[in-house]
Amino acid sequence: MNGRYALAQVLFIGLLASVALAQKPPDKAPEKVPESVAACLACHDDKQLSMKLKDGSTMSLYVDSQDFVRSVHGSQLVCTDCHARYEQNHPSGATLPSRRAYAIASYETCKKCHFDTYTRTLESVHYELLKSGLDAAPVCTDCHGAHNIQNPHEKRAMVSRSCATCHDDVYRRYARSVHGKALAEGGNQDVPACANCHTHHQIQPPGTTQFRLGSPEICARCHGDRALMAKYGISATVAQTYLADFHGVTASLARGASAPAQQVVVTCIDCHGVHDITSPRLRGAEAMKASVAAVCAKCHAGASPDFPAAWLSHWEPSLRHAPLVYLVQVFYKIFIPFIVIGLVLQVLLHLYRVSLGR
Amino acid sequence: MRGGDAGEYVVRFSYWQRFQHAMVILLFGVLLLTGMPQKWPYLEASRWVIEQLGGIVAVRWLHRAAGIAFSLLLLAHLAVAIGGVLSGRTRPSMLLSVRDFRDAVDFLRYCVGWAEAPPRFGRYDYRQKFEYWGLVFGGFVMALTGFILYFPITVSRLLPAELIPAAKVMHSYEALLAFLIILVWHLFAVLASPETFPMDTSIFTGKIRKDRLRHEHPLEYDELDERE
Repeated sequence: MNGRYALAQVLFIGLLASVALAQKPPDKAPEKVPESVAACLACHDDKQLSMKLKDGSTMSLYVDSQDFVRSVHGSQLVCTDCHARYEQNHPSGATLPSRRAYAIASYETCKKCHFDTYTRTLESVHYELLKSGLDAAPVCTDCHGAHNIQNPHEKRAMVSRSCATCHDDVYRRYARSVHGKALAEGGNQDVPACANCHTHHQIQPPGTTQFRLGSPEICARCHGDRALMAKYGISATVAQTYLADFHGVTASLARGASAPAQQVVVTCIDCHGVHDITSPRLRGAEAMKASVAAVCAKCHAGASPDFPAAWLSHWEPSLRHAPLVYLVQVFYKIFIPFIVIGLVLQVLLHLYRVSLGR
Repeated sequence: MRGGDAGEYVVRFSYWQRFQHAMVILLFGVLLLTGMPQKWPYLEASRWVIEQLGGIVAVRWLHRAAGIAFSLLLLAHLAVAIGGVLSGRTRPSMLLSVRDFRDAVDFLRYCVGWAEAPPRFGRYDYRQKFEYWGLVFGGFVMALTGFILYFPITVSRLLPAELIPAAKVMHSYEALLAFLIILVWHLFAVLASPETFPMDTSIFTGKIRKDRLRHEHPLEYDELDERE
């Protein structure tokens, strides 16, 4: 296990390096910078330019002009759009408490344009942490970068890696999962990265009952998509079969209810894992059955070893899978129309006779 | 036969029978109200009902409580019915006979015009008997599958666990069947049928007008007539 993990890490780092190289083709000529940017760069192009901070550290004031010009903002903004305070009396000679304090004090400049996104972050668990005084809680620039901002929809793996800065253990588990491997190793754009499940800005604490009850809906976004699942030979009914089952109804309805949910019910993640999701096909039917049995036993104490068979493992009933359920279904699908049509016919005949007159 | 019994009534149902019918209306209503949103939980209307009743957990407990009451009523009904017949106090007039099937065919023949008159029915006509046995049998299916779903762990210790999803499917479809039969058959017969329109009230008042008895249950009327 460890060996495979180390191998995955080596592969992963190699991939990072190749992505980084691909991002900066050495043969590309430097792009021209706008005049007002050039004015700032007159000083800030100097790699030695720095300032002493109150906490004793030194902050580099060097800006890589090509980083900025090639960023998503390069062709639209100039330095003073974000660094508005420096239009006059610059440099003023004021000092800053620390590098982190500067980042936290500056990130709100993003809201000038990205107001809706900014307001969403105010409802996130990260903002809660920041407000409580935890400096390390991420602000815009921690995930998106500052001068080198790229389109996050195109650089999904990049955004996920920014999560890893703090959530390293989770990220490593994710990177080993069926989703993480496909994204990191194959560049697969169908698989979820961190933000697809945890959302981008309004990130909620994932340990709550509400988040847990909402998790099937997250999985169903992809696993209920017929076309997408057909691409990988995965059944698109997995979400539907869960939601049609007793627990799926509980999870779904408890989540939509106005009163807070009391009951904890089994959801996708209990059997399939959270970040370390592996393909049930690779795990094998026996391992999956054992996993399901262990999950059942958590709440249903005293259940027989056969009890997990009450769950049809996402199969639609058929003669092969759950024949008894299938036969009951078939019986009623024939019997109900037979009876009801027969009764309606008799009612109609009765009325017909009455309409003839006695 | 006498002609002047238009205003006269005869007692048709006992207090016990009327009480049972009222309870079935109440319990069947509660079971439908709490059961159908569980059968189609993703409809907007179902969500609304569930929310109004206090959430899915409350709805399930209501459903179970009504189900237990319905099961007890079913057992009490059978105990009284069988006890009554065994002690000779009541006659087993709900029992099916070959005659009922013949009546069904004869009634259909009458409807399409192959027979001049409808068959002459006794205390309960074949439609009422079929519906009664449908209710008793359906009630047993609902109670049995309902308790399997209520106690899945106990059931899995005694029987194959596949019975549990099978019971769920059966409970759900049997309920739909019962609902449809009540809707198209029972409600037609007691509300909209030309004989009873606008409403047959005898199960509520316990009485039936003599002329109606003569028309709808002529054999019973004849017997009554002979006794008088």
